[in-house]
Amino acid sequence: MTTTIDSSTGKTPWVFYGVLFGILGTLSILAWGPIGVSGTYPRVIGELLTLVVPDYAAGNPYLQKMGHLFAKTETYLVIGLLLGGFLGARLNKEKAPACEMIHPSEKTTGRRYRDAFIGGFLIVFGARIAGGCTSGHIISGITQLSVSGFIFAAGVFATGILTAKTLKRRHVAAEA
Amino acid sequence: MTAFYGLLIGVAMGFFIQRVRASSPGMIVRNLRLENLSVIKFMALTMAVGMVLVYGLNLVIPSAMHFDVKPTYVLGVLLGGLVFGVGFGIGGYCPGTSVVGIGEGRKDAIVAMLGGVVGALVFTLVYTTLIAPIVKVADLGKITLADVTHVSPFVLAVVVSAVFLVVIKLLPTEVGAKR
Repeated sequence: MTTTIDSSTGKTPWVFYGVLFGILGTLSILAWGPIGVSGTYPRVIGELLTLVVPDYAAGNPYLQKMGHLFAKTETYLVIGLLLGGFLGARLNKEKAPACEMIHPSEKTTGRRYRDAFIGGFLIVFGARIAGGCTSGHIISGITQLSVSGFIFAAGVFATGILTAKTLKRRHVAAEA
Repeated sequence: MTAFYGLLIGVAMGFFIQRVRASSPGMIVRNLRLENLSVIKFMALTMAVGMVLVYGLNLVIPSAMHFDVKPTYVLGVLLGGLVFGVGFGIGGYCPGTSVVGIGEGRKDAIVAMLGGVVGALVFTLVYTTLIAPIVKVADLGKITLADVTHVSPFVLAVVVSAVFLVVIKLLPTEVGAKR
């Protein structure tokens, strides 16, 4: 079993880690509940607003529904993701990755950062409308055979594929 | 104690995501363009393994399972998925992989997370007026495929898992490359 990543072919050990991730999600349901990430974002906002405008935060029904940041197991999972990403890269002796330009239109890091910001805004806004993200709705949702997980995944891949393909094609058309 | 379990599971999850390059926005976009399907297959395999394990264990130790099914409010879940997909295609990150990317040392992941924080702020501000009415539409509650079909969840898990495994096996990982 190899865990090295061949960057020339893009081959990754997804079979090995796919099986492990399935077991990990099961351990999570045994320990406290299904994994999830995106709810942490509004909980961070809740803590910040509580510092700045405590009356508004206390009266906002969404923040009250989401609960306190440090009372949720999910918050510690998100801190773990940060450490896990660090360990994954360092134990494999990988250098800090260079900024990847992912669409043909991203010719400067400024354009890349703009896309990352817009993308980050939309994934969290969309996830909060739906009540979950790739982790909570797709991985945990479909693992539990939740109807909502299948509907969310269908929506994500419909526009995700369309957007990624359009951003490539439109540029090719503009160059021609 | 669950905080500690959460931290441990988060570390393992972040490690796995980093190793399969799901925290690389370039890899995510290649998957969404259907040029390389390794991350999609990774996710499908995770779910195929997980569903059989959790519903198998549920037959043996049902009291130990902390299931938490999210409500199916059809309009909001679909609309949220569609908005999420556009952001996923533009930025190449999801809320979890941007955090993993920051751990790896990716600067654009920090920008994506800041975008997410602003997104959460705007969402919180407009929730009562814009979002609350949407999530009330066609709310079917916390339902699973087992509730809809009246088939045993374990049997369904085995069937859905088998379908996922067949699709994983049939689809190429590197599209257009020799298998």
